Amino acid sequence: MKGTPVRGLLPLVALLVLWQLTGDPASPYFPPPSTWVDGVAPLVDADKLLGALGQTSLTFLIGLAIATALGALIGTLVGASRPVDRALSPSLEFLRALPAASLVPVAALVLGYTAQMKLVVVVLPAMWPILLTCRSARRSLSPVLLDTPRTLGLSRWDRATKILTPALLPAVLLGVRVAAPLALIITLLVEIVTRVNGLGALLGAAQQNFLSAQVYGLLTIAGVLGFMVNWVVTRADNAIGRRMRGTA
Amino acid sequence: MARRVNLLGGAVFVAVLLVWELLVRTGILSFSYLPPPSDVAGGLGQLIGNGELGSALGHTLGAALAGWAIAGVLGVAAGSVLGLVRPVWTYSMASLEALRALPIVAFVPVAVLLYGFSVQTEIMVGCYAALWPILLNTISGMRTEARMVESGAVLRLSRAAVLWKIRLPAATPSIVVGLRLGLSISLVLTLVAEMVGNPAGLGFLLVEKGQALQPGQMFAAVFVVGVSGIVLNGLVLGAARLAFRGQLAASGEVA
Amino acid sequence: MSPTILCDDLTVTLPGESGPVEVLAGVRLAVAKAEFVSVLGTSGSGKTTLLRALGGLLPVTSGTVHCDSTLVTGPPEGVVTVFQDYAHSLLPWRSVARNVALGIESRLDRSERDERVDEALTMVGLSDRAGEYPWRLSGGMQQRVQIARALAMRPRVLLMDEPFGALDAMTKASLQDQLQQVQELTGTTIVFVTHDVEEAVYLSDRVVVLSGSPASIGLSLDVALPRPRHQITTKERADYLELRHEVYEALGHRVPIAERSHG
Repeated sequence: MKGTPVRGLLPLVALLVLWQLTGDPASPYFPPPSTWVDGVAPLVDADKLLGALGQTSLTFLIGLAIATALGALIGTLVGASRPVDRALSPSLEFLRALPAASLVPVAALVLGYTAQMKLVVVVLPAMWPILLTCRSARRSLSPVLLDTPRTLGLSRWDRATKILTPALLPAVLLGVRVAAPLALIITLLVEIVTRVNGLGALLGAAQQNFLSAQVYGLLTIAGVLGFMVNWVVTRADNAIGRRMRGTA
Repeated sequence: MARRVNLLGGAVFVAVLLVWELLVRTGILSFSYLPPPSDVAGGLGQLIGNGELGSALGHTLGAALAGWAIAGVLGVAAGSVLGLVRPVWTYSMASLEALRALPIVAFVPVAVLLYGFSVQTEIMVGCYAALWPILLNTISGMRTEARMVESGAVLRLSRAAVLWKIRLPAATPSIVVGLRLGLSISLVLTLVAEMVGNPAGLGFLLVEKGQALQPGQMFAAVFVVGVSGIVLNGLVLGAARLAFRGQLAASGEVA
Repeated sequence: MSPTILCDDLTVTLPGESGPVEVLAGVRLAVAKAEFVSVLGTSGSGKTTLLRALGGLLPVTSGTVHCDSTLVTGPPEGVVTVFQDYAHSLLPWRSVARNVALGIESRLDRSERDERVDEALTMVGLSDRAGEYPWRLSGGMQQRVQIARALAMRPRVLLMDEPFGALDAMTKASLQDQLQQVQELTGTTIVFVTHDVEEAVYLSDRVVVLSGSPASIGLSLDVALPRPRHQITTKERADYLELRHEVYEALGHRVPIAERSHG
């Protein structure tokens, strides 16, 4: 985040250094950072790490994409019409109240231990931030903006693509900004709980086998992944935000 | 909040349930383990009847609340220091942000590694998870409007008085939001810890029923989880409104 | 010759806070081709409602609106409405030129489209701003962009809802004159809603006053002032002042007896 002084990293760096210096490589609980690389090495050698990262990333990206499309679509539809909003809100709110974690065993039972099941589990909760921002934005679109295509005689398709989509884009981006880290967390969650594939599965397996150095190493990799997602989303948001400047 | 009861919405909800029931019964929607609502209701009855639900719910809520309470104390305390003492903030914020990037779920295997299959795992996970929103919201709440603090100086209040009479009340709405979020997150992560680590509580119940191929009971447990979340959130909000009516009114949360 | 716009016994009822409100009742209005008609009324008198009904943006409760002898049931072909709220009507993510092209880009090929956009921008005097974004322009300029956008469609009828209401007096005067020039050039029929009496008399061939509740046409006054009109000289003419007087009285203003001038 801009503006946070870099010297704030001191405690973290100091902690890691301290850990490194005082840690016992043989400790089953707190192996020092230098052992982490070795801990992860077997996975790299067996070609498992890269594959797992690929699977996690794929689920994350496709899940986020579908969540964005669905969230934007439903959010816009619900925001466009008060009656529809009132009709669907209670059901939607109920679905939203179910935590993602509780959906995992359900999905695993109903859909099986597959990559598709992973996607379903990711899409459902990740959809909400986007749905909500789009609903709110659609509701507050200026009536004058909505009358403009009518008076200019634009077709419904043109109205949707030339007016609605650009006008709602900032809201979609805001929703994606919130949904992206969420999608990553849920991807890892479903992988850790169901062990279908991906980084989470590796983490779970490492823990089960008491390979603590590997656990910490994988944890760090997960952290890097999380950091990258946040960074990309923030950059994209800023870039597009600059172009859309002036949009209400 | 709408005064008129949302009959249409309620009707749609019921209609969805009915359609679901129909589709499963007639075999149009047939996944091997998708139960119709009637089975879910039945499952709920069974779980309540044989006491499984009660004990699981108690365990999970206990662990989640414990983790949350600890996080509350730690988070508000640390958040206050970070929010008030500028040098501390300068020399720690970046570290916190780096740590925050680590997806919390990824910590669950770590916790299981360290604490094994015990309730401590759950509490640790719940506490760590809840700590973040509480901490961050407290920090941002404490960075009060300069004008308000100046008034304290103008009225010649002691620094302790400024803290107690101005900063803390001003920070209260933020802190309450943090506490609410923290509770939801603690609940969720406690569930995860139960699915992956400690075989107890609602999380484990869900996994168990799944493996025992009891979809009706499993769905019922999910329903209970959802309701618990809503109820807990409402309780915190209600308690906060009672205790901090003035502060919340200022931020527009209460009439 | 049949009128371009014909309102026959128009009634519009709109939903209100405490039940439906009859906004317009028994409105009869005929606008001839190339005529400039101003619709005057106080705030809330139903002028915007009338304009929206004419533009097919509002369903009528009873009575009819015809445009060139065709019944109006939705936004009619060849009729464009220009809104008062230009800020929300222009698309902030499109440049001025692309905003102007919005109505025509699906219908015309590239070269014809570019031609029309240039033509429209020249008519409102913004050719040198074609590449800018709306938020960089002043309020007056933004409104001109909206007008250019309407003009690019080469409409038969232009419906304008207090288009200069949000602008300062000097910008307003300048835009009024530009609008006059445009109308002379294109021969478009214009229905112009305003609450500004001076503006109405200055611009129009005919002034129509909406009054009453529910509203109907209270006064229809021909404005036979010579064209082209000038901000200074036209407004000093005796016939201008008389017309102005008559319109104000129709709006409910009375001159105190002691102040009445002779003749």
